[in-house]
Amino acid sequence: MKRVLIGLTFLAVASFAFAQPFVWPSAWTNATPDEAVYGGTLRIAMIGDPRTFNPVISAESQALSDYLFDTAAPLIIRGPDSDEWLPYGAQSYTVSEDGRTIDMVLREGMKWSDGSDITVQDYYIRYVLETDPDVGSNGYDGWFMDGDPITMEITGDNTLRFTFPRPDRMAFPVAAVSPVPDKIFGEAYRTGGAEAVQALWGTDVDVTTTIWPTEFVPVSFQPGERIILERNPYFGEWNVDEAGNPLPYLDGYSMTIAGDLDAALNLFIAGEIDSFSPRNLDDIGVINQAVNNGDIDVVVMESVSPVASSQFIVWNWNKASDPAKEALFRNVNFRRAMAHLVDRDLMMDLVYNGAGVPMYTNVYPINDYWVNHDVEKYPFDPERAQELLASIGYDRTNAQGLLVNAQGQTVSFTLATNAGNTQREQLAQIFADTAREAGVDVTVSAIDFNLLVDQLLSVGEDRPFDAILIGLTGGSRDWPFGVNVIPCGTNLHMFNTSPECLTTGETLMGQLFTQGRETLDTEAAREIGYEIQKVEADLIPIVYLVSPMAHYAFNSALTGYHQEDQINPLLGAWELPLLFKAQ
Amino acid sequence: MLVYIVRRFFQLIPTFLGATMLAFLISQLVPGDFLTQKALEPNVRPETIERMRSQFGLDQPITVQYVRWMGNLMQGNLGQSFVSNQPVINRIGRPMRNSMYLALLSIFMLWAVAVPAGVYSAVRQYSVGDQVVSVFSYFGLAIPNFFFAQVLILLIFVTRSFTKDAFGFNQLVFPVAGMTSGNYLQMSPWGQFWDVMWHMFIPSFVVATAGMAGFTRVLRAQMVEYLASDFIRTARAKGLAQRGVTYKHALRPAIIPFVAGIGGLLPDLVGGAGLVEVTMSWPGITPTFLEALNSQDIYVVLGLLVITTILLMIGNLLSDLLLAAVDPRIRYN
Repeated sequence: MKRVLIGLTFLAVASFAFAQPFVWPSAWTNATPDEAVYGGTLRIAMIGDPRTFNPVISAESQALSDYLFDTAAPLIIRGPDSDEWLPYGAQSYTVSEDGRTIDMVLREGMKWSDGSDITVQDYYIRYVLETDPDVGSNGYDGWFMDGDPITMEITGDNTLRFTFPRPDRMAFPVAAVSPVPDKIFGEAYRTGGAEAVQALWGTDVDVTTTIWPTEFVPVSFQPGERIILERNPYFGEWNVDEAGNPLPYLDGYSMTIAGDLDAALNLFIAGEIDSFSPRNLDDIGVINQAVNNGDIDVVVMESVSPVASSQFIVWNWNKASDPAKEALFRNVNFRRAMAHLVDRDLMMDLVYNGAGVPMYTNVYPINDYWVNHDVEKYPFDPERAQELLASIGYDRTNAQGLLVNAQGQTVSFTLATNAGNTQREQLAQIFADTAREAGVDVTVSAIDFNLLVDQLLSVGEDRPFDAILIGLTGGSRDWPFGVNVIPCGTNLHMFNTSPECLTTGETLMGQLFTQGRETLDTEAAREIGYEIQKVEADLIPIVYLVSPMAHYAFNSALTGYHQEDQINPLLGAWELPLLFKAQ
Repeated sequence: MLVYIVRRFFQLIPTFLGATMLAFLISQLVPGDFLTQKALEPNVRPETIERMRSQFGLDQPITVQYVRWMGNLMQGNLGQSFVSNQPVINRIGRPMRNSMYLALLSIFMLWAVAVPAGVYSAVRQYSVGDQVVSVFSYFGLAIPNFFFAQVLILLIFVTRSFTKDAFGFNQLVFPVAGMTSGNYLQMSPWGQFWDVMWHMFIPSFVVATAGMAGFTRVLRAQMVEYLASDFIRTARAKGLAQRGVTYKHALRPAIIPFVAGIGGLLPDLVGGAGLVEVTMSWPGITPTFLEALNSQDIYVVLGLLVITTILLMIGNLLSDLLLAAVDPRIRYN
């Protein structure tokens, strides 16, 4: 083993004489290079089959696609220890004075898994394919900024340029392009057009004919069973640890396809996979029991960080068929009263067994850097809620104990959520119960997910719902505000889908959104982000609830993952090249 | 007979058209389509969703969609999967094969246990053994598959804890998920065969227990009836051994309804073993079907329905023919 290691190191050093490898910092792992051991296989479970091996048309997020398609030699990457973008596929990059262009110089010595060179053309063709609407790439929308195109061009033998219509905080995620082999994808596109590209690398492909820039490459795929990946011998030529050893340390990576998360948990307890993310404290209990029995040897990390998603209640401002309700939902004191009726502590205790954090703004709590902690929080206070409702006329109670106004109208509405999501159903029921105690009549209705989404995304003056409890996922560390969410007239501006803003607050938030996105200085952008959250909290069109915690569990032999404070759903748990198995 | 088969075949055509049209209509009644979930992503533009909708033909009137789909079907093309951008047959072929393995082993287990149990129960009516068979078979009938599978998985883990403490053997006696071991590809063909069998045992057992109650009770009733009939008395009177009387004279006619039912098993072979496949990560058709339903990949769902419909129709025909073959009282003209 040692001889092989020395041989590999020699080979690597020899090739570094003319190419500068990327050095993976030790700050990204909990181990040092001298602790690392070569060999072993990382075994994980993946839910469901991959849908394609074609990176250009992939429209999903799961273990295989996240790995092969998105982390494969991007021009720039970001470590778990800082928000700074580092050149990776690029040797270096420069941002122009006006912030509108980024110039990249390609790293020399990068190779595909068949040994051929990775060139600027391989990066450029990805842009060409993704921006052709006929190809139907999931990356298409990323190449536009408010409808204006972002462009990429080849400016030399090993240089590329990105041009943005305006300075943009989201520029770097856009510029983190991964290459696809031009000799396969470009060739298909030039000879057979978009259809030929779509036909490439489906799940029926012989995976040994596919080539990748990643540290592991697929060598076998058995549908419904597993995908086996093995070390890419060329990766170590341009990727080393701080001691100059070629990476990765592991020999292989296997993904067992599990029917669902229960089956994956069983595999973990059976000792057949090395990593599992427990969904809740029940899963942790099951794992701990196996640990206490001495059946398996694993490390459990409980409540490491909040998850990267939101949960909220939104009221419908477009209800022309019921003017009384529309007026109520548009009344800020009504919404403030509702916010005072959300008992987040009770929700965390009952729904997540205490493993949750309260949420008060549209920024996910996991993105703490961007969260404005000083916004108005409307703490749980039924009496304050009743005072607010009294101020808009609901100042007496009827025989059923419900608040009524002078016309005898009660405060009543239907709160819909998606059937089958038991946690959301519980959250809705808890809100309804606390509201009922304060004299507000809330009927919980669990309906089909697609029906719920159709209602939420419906447009016009009369939309078919009162209030909806739902969540959003997907966000960014660069500018965590949704381009389809904050500005008026966008499709996820859920409370008001009339084309114009109805309040000054909405107008202001839209302006701040554009201003912040164009502010390249991160701290200045954060101040603008704080302002967006403050304006939103005053307007309170959406009441945010709670965010559950994420948990992790690893085989004890696994080492080289992130330091504990750098493990979370946004940063991930490890940098794969640095992971190893202690003998 | 040939005329009968031809006539039956022509009768299948309107049935098939009706069934597929109904399936298509129902699939269209579900709110939303497979792009609906995409609309909730904060960074996907509505124009993109509309463009994709028209690329997939989902913006066309339902009649146009049906005629297109039917046209393709007539040429043996089940359509494209939206999600994986591949012909539907690629998506469902292999899971069907895997489900068939499971179904075959479970049918074998069912017959291997249920026939002797049914005969025993009939011969020793109301004995303790008869009661035990009844209790176990009703237990199998009453307990849902996915739950029984979970119970067995728990049992496997408990067994591991026990064998580890008692003999230092810290291994699972049966796998708790999947169809093959991690080192499957390195095994010899024979080793691969046994590896799959080993993985298949628990899920097949679970499926087999569900059918046990119906099978043993019907067989028992049939046997009791035949054992009390005149020709059995005659057989005994002429001095035949008890074993011969039971297995040759009584069991043969008693088993006729089951032989005739073999045709009905045809759609079951590829139709999936139900949630046990999900619970035990068996890469069969049930997880594929559920995933397709969830993501509203309707042509995958419809493809599966079409295949099972065809097999059901062929199976019914086959059953009728088998019945004529084994039961001399039945003749088709």
